[in-house]
Amino acid sequence: MSSVGSGYDLYVSTYSPDGKLFQVDYANKAVENSGTLVAIRAKDGVVLGVEKLVPSKMLCSGSNRRVHHIDTHVGVAIAGFLADARQLITRARNEAKNYKSTYGQPIPIKVLSQRIASFNHMHTLYGSVRPFGCSIAITGIDQYGPQLFLVEPSGSCVGYFGASLGKGKQAAKNELEKIKFSEMTCREAIKEVSRIIYSVHDEVKDKDFELELGWISTETNNVHQIVPKELHDEAEAYAKQSLEDANM
Amino acid sequence: MSRSGTAGYDMSIIFSPQGKLYQIEYAFKAIKTGGLTSVGIRGKDCVVVATQKKIPDKLIDPKSVTSLYKLTDYIGCVQTGIVPDSKSQASRAIQECSSFHHKFGYQIPPNVLAKRMADIAQLSTQHASARPLGVAMILIGIDDELGPQLFKVDPAGVYTGYKATAAGEKEQESTNFLEKKFKSNPQLSKDETIQMAISTLQSVLGADLKSSDLEIGICTMDNRKFVIMTDEDIDSQLTKLAERD
Repeated sequence: MSSVGSGYDLYVSTYSPDGKLFQVDYANKAVENSGTLVAIRAKDGVVLGVEKLVPSKMLCSGSNRRVHHIDTHVGVAIAGFLADARQLITRARNEAKNYKSTYGQPIPIKVLSQRIASFNHMHTLYGSVRPFGCSIAITGIDQYGPQLFLVEPSGSCVGYFGASLGKGKQAAKNELEKIKFSEMTCREAIKEVSRIIYSVHDEVKDKDFELELGWISTETNNVHQIVPKELHDEAEAYAKQSLEDANM
Repeated sequence: MSRSGTAGYDMSIIFSPQGKLYQIEYAFKAIKTGGLTSVGIRGKDCVVVATQKKIPDKLIDPKSVTSLYKLTDYIGCVQTGIVPDSKSQASRAIQECSSFHHKFGYQIPPNVLAKRMADIAQLSTQHASARPLGVAMILIGIDDELGPQLFKVDPAGVYTGYKATAAGEKEQESTNFLEKKFKSNPQLSKDETIQMAISTLQSVLGADLKSSDLEIGICTMDNRKFVIMTDEDIDSQLTKLAERD
């Protein structure tokens, strides 16, 4: 069976004899090589955390941001090629703005996620383009409550209670499955997300990393923001402590 | 295994020397990669689509995952195959229905919609720019003049009306099962149609199904609207089916 490329993987508009689209599979590999992203949908909001790998000590802290705002009530985090993700973020911001302009209300998270997914999907149809090499986690609060969606290079858009992407995806997933999402508050979720990221971080292969945290909850008045310094420091301390306790 | 027989004729939409379009055949294979099976069955005064619901990851919110789409109040469909392609096709179908209604002032009949979706699918079998979508669409509705209707539209641009049909991973097994059941040309009531759909899926999947493993959509002559059955309704049908056996 031609399960290894061999000519069917040159254009995304070509099916392999098994009915696979190899270019989409390869785009997913680009996502798998990025720093871990963990998101938790708690009962009063959603928390995003990213393991932002710092390749050089020369970089200013806070550069190459991976958590972004789309609208006041929507925030996203990205895994994969940052440059491709910038396109998606710009697109998402425009979609949110146009929706507000047309319908007079903030864009529902499901609608935004589906639109970005359709945009991704379009790039899997034609031979002249390539799929985006990034997945994004879209979070927000709308009239349906807190929402978390993952949009992938294939154009798939699925809602989650807890999600992970990137290098430590599987290990993070195992940790997430132990959590009772319906009972967790955002404040607790921030600590959990930090703990999971610290625990899946590979000290040997990747040296430095910065922890980026974003949240939106009833506490922030349903406005997406980067987690404030005190909460961030508290979460990091908790994460480091948990790591020490686990190693003992 | 190198396919020397195809030798380059299967890289894009061109004819092979034997007159085959290999990319279309591969698109059909892509339908099976979804791993799900769906069936559509037409009864005497109702028509039903049923599909598996598989959510392997318990972190996923089940409400966000579905293969059933309501195209208009009166027409629904189940899409089997590559998920993003199905969303795209459903979205296009909804636009076509809406545009028909706007142009002609009445709801699009199921056979007209099927023909339109088939014509759209045919474009990608002739123009190499966009690949064919790896989805089979089974659509159902009640036609004002013709009664319950069931159509399947496939990536080749072919649409056919059916008494019963299946799509997806276990398409062949389901079709064999349904052919045996329909040999006597039965006139199925609403309950019988729903139970036939459930038992087809149970038989080909080799497992007893719960309401959380099934999605069922139905149109009846009394209530012409496309209705997606609730878990409770599916449970009561499962109970009736078990009692019957």
